[in-house]
Amino acid sequence: MSSRYRLGIDIGGTFTDFALVDEGTRTIHRHKRLTSPADPSASALEGTDELLERAQISGGEIAMVVHGTTLVANAIIERKGAQTSFIVTKGFRDVPEMAHENRHDIYDLNLRRADPLVPRRDRYEIDERIDSDGVVLRELGADDLRRCIDAVAESESSAVAVALLHSFRNPAHENAIRDALAARRPDLAISISSEVSPEIREYERMSTTMANAYVQPLIARYLEKLEGGLARRGSVNRLYLMLSEGGLTTSHVTRLYPVRLVESGPAGGVLYSRLVGRAAGVTDMVAFDMGGTTAKACLIRDGRPRQTTLLEVARASRFKKGSGIPLRVPSMEIIEIGAGGGSIARLDQIGMLKVGPESAGAIPGPACYGQGGHEPTVTDANLLLGYLNPDYFLGGRLSLDRRAAERVVSARICEPSGLDLMEAADGIYRLVSEDMASAIRVHVAEVGADPRTCMLVAFGGAGPLHASYVARALKMRGFMCAPRPGIASAIGMLDAPISFDVARSFVAKIKGADLTAVANVFAELEARARTLLEAAGVNKSAIAIERTLDMRFAGQFYEVSVPYEDGSALTSAGLCDAFLSVYRSLFGHVHEDVEIEILTCRLRGTGPQPDSTKLLAGSPATGTGKPKGQRQAYFREWGGMLSCDVYERAGLRPGLAIPGPAIIEEPESTTIIEPDTIARIDEHHNIVVEFTNSTSSDY
Amino acid sequence: MLEILWGRLVTVMDEVDAATVRTAFSTVLAEGRDFACILLDVQGRSIAQGTFSTTGFVVTLPRTAKQLLKKFPPAELSPGDMLATNDPWMGSGHLPDFSFLSPVFRGGKLIGYIGTVAHLTDAGGRLGYFNGVDVYEEGIRLPPCRLFDKGVANTTAFSILGANVRASRLVLGDIEAIAATHQLGATRLLQLLDEYALPDLRDLADRILTLSSASMEQAIAQIPDGEYRGEMLCDGYGDPVTLRVALRAGGGRLSVDFAGSSPQTTRAAINAVISLTIADTLFALKCALIPDIRNNEGLSWPIDVDAPAGSILNASFPVAVQARSKTSMHVHQAIFAALAEALPGRVQAGSAAAWPISASGIDAAGARFATHFFLHGGKGATARSDGLATTAFPYNAAAGSVEIYENSAPLLVERKALRVDSGGPGRHRGGLGQEMVVTSRSPNPVVVWVRPDKIRFPPIGLAGGRPGRSAEFSVKGEAPNLPTSYELLRGESVVVAPPGGGGYGDPFDRDPVAVAADVAEGYVSLDSAAREYGVMLDDAGRPDGEQTVRARDRLRSEVHDSGRRPVGA
Repeated sequence: MSSRYRLGIDIGGTFTDFALVDEGTRTIHRHKRLTSPADPSASALEGTDELLERAQISGGEIAMVVHGTTLVANAIIERKGAQTSFIVTKGFRDVPEMAHENRHDIYDLNLRRADPLVPRRDRYEIDERIDSDGVVLRELGADDLRRCIDAVAESESSAVAVALLHSFRNPAHENAIRDALAARRPDLAISISSEVSPEIREYERMSTTMANAYVQPLIARYLEKLEGGLARRGSVNRLYLMLSEGGLTTSHVTRLYPVRLVESGPAGGVLYSRLVGRAAGVTDMVAFDMGGTTAKACLIRDGRPRQTTLLEVARASRFKKGSGIPLRVPSMEIIEIGAGGGSIARLDQIGMLKVGPESAGAIPGPACYGQGGHEPTVTDANLLLGYLNPDYFLGGRLSLDRRAAERVVSARICEPSGLDLMEAADGIYRLVSEDMASAIRVHVAEVGADPRTCMLVAFGGAGPLHASYVARALKMRGFMCAPRPGIASAIGMLDAPISFDVARSFVAKIKGADLTAVANVFAELEARARTLLEAAGVNKSAIAIERTLDMRFAGQFYEVSVPYEDGSALTSAGLCDAFLSVYRSLFGHVHEDVEIEILTCRLRGTGPQPDSTKLLAGSPATGTGKPKGQRQAYFREWGGMLSCDVYERAGLRPGLAIPGPAIIEEPESTTIIEPDTIARIDEHHNIVVEFTNSTSSDY
Repeated sequence: MLEILWGRLVTVMDEVDAATVRTAFSTVLAEGRDFACILLDVQGRSIAQGTFSTTGFVVTLPRTAKQLLKKFPPAELSPGDMLATNDPWMGSGHLPDFSFLSPVFRGGKLIGYIGTVAHLTDAGGRLGYFNGVDVYEEGIRLPPCRLFDKGVANTTAFSILGANVRASRLVLGDIEAIAATHQLGATRLLQLLDEYALPDLRDLADRILTLSSASMEQAIAQIPDGEYRGEMLCDGYGDPVTLRVALRAGGGRLSVDFAGSSPQTTRAAINAVISLTIADTLFALKCALIPDIRNNEGLSWPIDVDAPAGSILNASFPVAVQARSKTSMHVHQAIFAALAEALPGRVQAGSAAAWPISASGIDAAGARFATHFFLHGGKGATARSDGLATTAFPYNAAAGSVEIYENSAPLLVERKALRVDSGGPGRHRGGLGQEMVVTSRSPNPVVVWVRPDKIRFPPIGLAGGRPGRSAEFSVKGEAPNLPTSYELLRGESVVVAPPGGGGYGDPFDRDPVAVAADVAEGYVSLDSAAREYGVMLDDAGRPDGEQTVRARDRLRSEVHDSGRRPVGA
């Protein structure tokens, strides 16, 4: 790849963001345009043309196009995937809707769960059975196979998912079904569970395989258009997609495992935070993205985003764990909090203030938008507190109506509660900020990390407004806000290496286990990962391999992830020690004389980390560094209304120090600098606030 | 702000809860979620619990704490102590439920307690029986005891306990794990108090409790003053059990009186202690009246619960109590039946019961195994929605994975499927039950025990809704008269089929389009659509309007003539 250009494209629901990096001149060309909802590839290609024209280069000069998209997640949430059939071991077609049989809210008599992506009438049973050792108990009968294939082939489905019991131990029957289906209907998209998610626990595996099949036709069509369009512009075979785990993969692999892209969009944002932090010498941080309806956060430790192997999407009760569709997908663990700028504040039946998860959305939006919103929102509170500039919202494109905000907060909050206007607005601000802090606190504590060593890296429209409060509530080191947060993901994904995670369940007690068998599983996983990476253009010698094992005390229900060093001998004693050490660090104690078992082997293959020093190239500073004005803003803990200097972000030079209270405005967001803190502008134009001494919150 | 701090207390307990689930060995604990993590103030009042904690323990633990603190007065407690008992009459009703209480100190001053009530793997005694005579044969009873003294394990107590339970390593391991979760909770609680510069929990506890109590009073005021009666027939063991309840509302208070319920029995271990009856009553009232308020003891203040001493809902020492949920899990339904008239929009038709299946034995390699599997029938419908299929209620156990199950025991699950037509017909349909077939693959006999329910008396319908389809249970192809434990030889099976949930409202008022959709998915058969709902479908599966009207008219008059009167109508 001799060319010096790399292009990042992040397609969100509303906007598509572009970042074109010129590695020769260390400049970044940025671009943003509306996403065309009917065909997101069209807006991606049009935006690319606009950007290429601006940079005066041809498509052939782009070495690599890196692409993140919310397409997969949205197709599942909005149920816009293909009509899909599902083939399952006889006697088990109802497993996808039986789910875990428990309730995600113990008091709600009307609770709902997300329906399976494939309705019952499209789920077909096939007579076969494999046991937990992979031994065939009942052969796949030719007649039954034919009957089942006929039924699926004659249906209107364009995709099929196949998930048989214990197929991760023995995929023979799934393979046979796939081959028969492919022979009969070559046009079908087929996902088999032993390839998509070869892991124990049938409900999650079925759900993941169904989701993969469900989005496959859609993604295939989309990639064909996008790749075709890029090829016509001279960029052939240079498209890479952002995986949920934070690596890149080819369009070929994406076509096989599209479900792996479910967190593709948010992953870019986390990588951007890491990039910003790394440039500032920070390795431990929390990426914090707060937008209009939700906020997202992810812990990054030693430069590595926290990982998970199980996600949940499309929750029927918003933000209630357990009400959605589980996906067994390697991913960054990005927590979602049901509150953002548009979240509605209300008093509950006992007069307690609550914020979210209901949101005023974009239409009618917060009351201060003046578009008919009549519920008080977080944005209304931020306006009343003086944090937002009514004449400079979205760079002045929308003028905010302070009176309207006042009216709704008075009517809905002040009158029933007896609070005055500022108390109410401050209450909303603090409550939503505390909700963020609480969720982050648990997320950080679960892995035994200490928030005091972390920086909060805030982005999204509302992130910088709440960053100082949230970071202080968590007693973090401080917070930082990078410039141009609006295209964070498009830049972040350019920092991703090519990588792929593979896994296979293999249940074995450590004591007396046949560790050769475990080693064989790893060897098979490694061969698979290497093949995929080499096909993606990674040099054989540049591939790094990491292995982990999901292990537990026999009889427990949850596994812990135990790293297993590359090259170290696989011995019972070594694995035991490694497990006990991880277990102790998580839970503070271990059990003696209890058997330890392996459940799943995992392996990640990673190509070289791209050179990211060019990704933060800033535009030359031109500003005066002087405030553009003053305004009053409310800081309850410092006595109430204070006069604040107001700065224009674009005018801030590196090296500048701004004492709080102050407000820094830019078209996409507003950063609040609280009293007793000092904001410094670093060489990459980041706003950095480090707390010197911990200020205790009061109540 | 109270709201922020209150939320933070729950978050602390959620962390304790999460650590418990992730480190537990007990299936009943980790998958069955039969435990609660509760924060008590210095007076022993419960002020917060984990979001998913079993509801009722929020009232049983303060009662247990009183007993524990009587023996170990607060002045004699130190950091690192953990008190415990599993006495059914002091605790929550049967021996496997252990209550643990750890004091929390701040600057040398006692500020409150972190407590856990948890169902551990084993408490000794006879396995899998229902015909117990007294509590002595049910296992070891640990009187109030200091299990940890300043962080040091009481080896005498541990060794006595260990010598009296099966799988002692797991039972003792869970106790150690719980002690560790209490330390985690205490650390988090102190961090919280530091952060807000609070000396103790006193002020916060008062505000949470009084506010919660006042809001329950307001909620009770929605019930028109008067008396409301409900009655439930339960399968019991051999003889049916009657639960009778009278709710009396007035002046912001509610009295709940179970007079007229069956007497306690010495023929079966299905007796409930009063603590448990109170717990299950408050759960039902919270669901109906005030589902969104975080659970704490204050919600119980305006409610008086009484059951005659010596009745099956207030059993006297020392009757057998091991299988008491056979009785207590129906308490909520008696309350819903009584409230159906006063607050029809706030109750739920009958739900299936929890059906744990336990199996143990020696596998082909000579190793001992013991497993539990939970499965559930349908949830009852409400005035607003159909019941969910296969969902736990009132308890909240999660079903296990068949693949994990088959890896842990020489058993084969032949089938785990919804039961067509099992949801009780109604304007809103009850959730479907399921059928699971488990076959032994072991060369050695496998001992299996199941706790079936709702075979004789299926989940009831409300407001004109029909009952769910009854449960079914068979061993080696035969339906036993009375459930006990069974030995399965290789190739022999048990079939367990929990019931469907009850329907809500008149099935002839159900939207024919919804019935057609149920038929298309196979939840309801064509025959049942016609017979139970009066909905006639055309060849394309769409409702035939004219025929449906006619069929419904005819069926309505037949129902009228036969005098069929659904419960709660």
